[in-house]
Amino acid sequence: MDGRASAAVVERLRERIQKLQAAPRTYLLSLRTQVAGFDQLFPGGAVPLGTALELCGEAASGRTSLALRAVAAAGREGRLAAYVDGPRELYPPAAAALGVDLRRLLVVQPKAPGQLAWTAVQLCRSGAFTCVVLDLTHTGVRLCLAEGKKLADAAFRGGSLLILLTPPESPADGVVRLSTRAVGLSGLEVSVLRNRQGGAGARALIGWESLCPAPPVFRHRRPEAPPEGELGPLHPPYQRPKSGVDRDGGLCRSRPGRDCQLPSLAPSLGLSTH
Amino acid sequence: MRLCYLHLPRFPVQRRVVETPSLSKKPLALVEDARGVRRVAFASAAALKLGVRPGMTLASARALTPELAAFDFSPQAERAALLSMGEALLAIAPAFELSAPDGLWLDASAAALCGGEEGLCRRALEICSAFGYRARAALASQRFTARAMARYGERPIEVVEVYESAMALSSLPLAALEEDDSSPLASLGLTTLGEAAALPLGAVVARLGAQGLRALRLSRGEDDTPFTAEALPERIEERISLDWPAEALEPLLFALKTVLDRLGARLAGRKRAAVRLVLTLRLDPAGEAELPLSLARPSAQPKLLLDLARHQLSDLTLDKPIGALWVRVEEHCEDPGQQLTLGDGPTGDAALEVVLSRLCTALGQESLFSARLLDRHRPEGGFAPGAFRPPERPSGLAAEALGPLAPPPDGEASLARPPRLFPRAAELQAELGEQGQILSARLLGKRRRVLAMAGPERLCGEWWTDSPFVRDYYQVHLEGIGPVWLYRDGDGRFYLQGMFD
Repeated sequence: MDGRASAAVVERLRERIQKLQAAPRTYLLSLRTQVAGFDQLFPGGAVPLGTALELCGEAASGRTSLALRAVAAAGREGRLAAYVDGPRELYPPAAAALGVDLRRLLVVQPKAPGQLAWTAVQLCRSGAFTCVVLDLTHTGVRLCLAEGKKLADAAFRGGSLLILLTPPESPADGVVRLSTRAVGLSGLEVSVLRNRQGGAGARALIGWESLCPAPPVFRHRRPEAPPEGELGPLHPPYQRPKSGVDRDGGLCRSRPGRDCQLPSLAPSLGLSTH
Repeated sequence: MRLCYLHLPRFPVQRRVVETPSLSKKPLALVEDARGVRRVAFASAAALKLGVRPGMTLASARALTPELAAFDFSPQAERAALLSMGEALLAIAPAFELSAPDGLWLDASAAALCGGEEGLCRRALEICSAFGYRARAALASQRFTARAMARYGERPIEVVEVYESAMALSSLPLAALEEDDSSPLASLGLTTLGEAAALPLGAVVARLGAQGLRALRLSRGEDDTPFTAEALPERIEERISLDWPAEALEPLLFALKTVLDRLGARLAGRKRAAVRLVLTLRLDPAGEAELPLSLARPSAQPKLLLDLARHQLSDLTLDKPIGALWVRVEEHCEDPGQQLTLGDGPTGDAALEVVLSRLCTALGQESLFSARLLDRHRPEGGFAPGAFRPPERPSGLAAEALGPLAPPPDGEASLARPPRLFPRAAELQAELGEQGQILSARLLGKRRRVLAMAGPERLCGEWWTDSPFVRDYYQVHLEGIGPVWLYRDGDGRFYLQGMFD
């Protein structure tokens, strides 16, 4: 390459560098969980950073999956996330299946329940973690108003998204509250109970298939919801799948030689077989 | 072989001044015991101006300069300090050899990477300057030539070409030879190496023997002494003693910065990064306190290490002052380096390190981990805790230019697993239909209908151990709760293991 050509290359590189330096920087202000309906509950269509969010609901109402979706969104941006696991129930393989980058997820399991809120405050205030999940389920911890405000303040100062997972019997105070409720087989309902930024009362129905990476194929399904109140006599009202339609659904036979049809339990339980 | 000699004039004195800046420009002497008499081994420039000379007794020196500050000279400590200096210089040279107490040779075979031989000398002086030391450098093909030029040359940087050693040495004083070599030549009235080199070889050998021959060959730039690379110590440790026991944080941090600067340079020279360090404080008059420092991302940056240590020390309460401190690297790994991008400065993850350190101190190191997936069939053994070492995040313009990150490895993304897995599976009272299907289950104090069910998924294994297992897993949608994960064990009972929360 002669001198003129190399000078031209240098000049082109210089122009490119100047263009890159002059380009506006992008800053992360919110997280998109990519769960249809959930993001739309917030102004701007995404979960804003710097806020404390409470997901309050019964067990198996989809709170943890929603929180892990937010953690996965942080991981997609190359950010760090932390999960303060009070009940020690987080199952990382499931989190990985939900898209969480486990290399960027710090799991903290304090020994004493009293350290849970303090740990979350430290993680949020540091600003090193974009998303912090505080799981208070099955811990017996109920946050008072002062602790809730301290958590919200830490999230605001650190620019983190703090997600609290609480049971209905011990909700937190001083934070944005969303309730989750399983609605039969269709999915879960998320409703905004309290939000100073507006949007209280908004609801969204989220299908299980948008939360789970591999939604189960139910082979036995009740035809209709039973009436409220006392359960009637138990009958086997399941619809057997039609032959050739759904027989081998689910995970059955995915590993030849090991997954086989389950033998009936009826003889061992003393029940009659037909 | 090309060698670079780095001469640090009065290195022990310089080191003392670097560690105690208040001694700068003051008369200072390092004394050693010689046959029961305390004699001056090294003196500072201010002391030399006042007439203090090496070899003088301390009493005589004090008579000349009453304000002379005297400290003990420890050859082992000086050698260790010189060794750490050499390790820091490994960033620009593949090997070094000590010439205690005030110099070292560097292997200059990689000078091309530093912009040539003069560039290598300049880089070496810059590293010394970063440590607070003044130095001179000379590069030649022989050990003696490089050493003599560095010690007695006119310029701070001297580069002697391959066949020009004799000419370069000719103007140097005869004192450039070692004392044993120069004394017989000095008795002949010679003053420079050039005069010695001009003597006839046979006559010198006949009169002065092997000693004269050696002196003559050195004067002519002929030195075949091999270069022997110094072996690096396995333990990476730096220590410092405080002149006065420190009762406040500020003087302690000042000493700590000096120590961590050296430690960081040593690690950088070895291309290593610290993972775990231990800061030991020796209390005055007795006792010790140890502080572990753990890093999430291995680093050799002194600033980051200092931030971490400052945080640890600010939470520490001691009932005695601190007389000395040392930092030991307990675990280190290869330094992956930090890719700087346009518009970004070399800032570390100080916030991350500080919060991890704080949590480690308060909760214990075992409470913080990063999960690592394992290839196990047993669900509860599907992961193991590991150290939290997050990968670097591309920042600034690089992040914008490179675009989104690659997705993480999928793991068992194809399988549906509950986000909540109970540490111990709870036995479930289930009611079965005639075909063996689950009709209802008692959970949370109520009997709940099964709205839908998927499965079974048989997981079995570990038949080669004492605790084999065969389980049929079901995803069951319970009325009023939601989907749960339960299994039927080999004993026919049902157990609730997780929830699709």
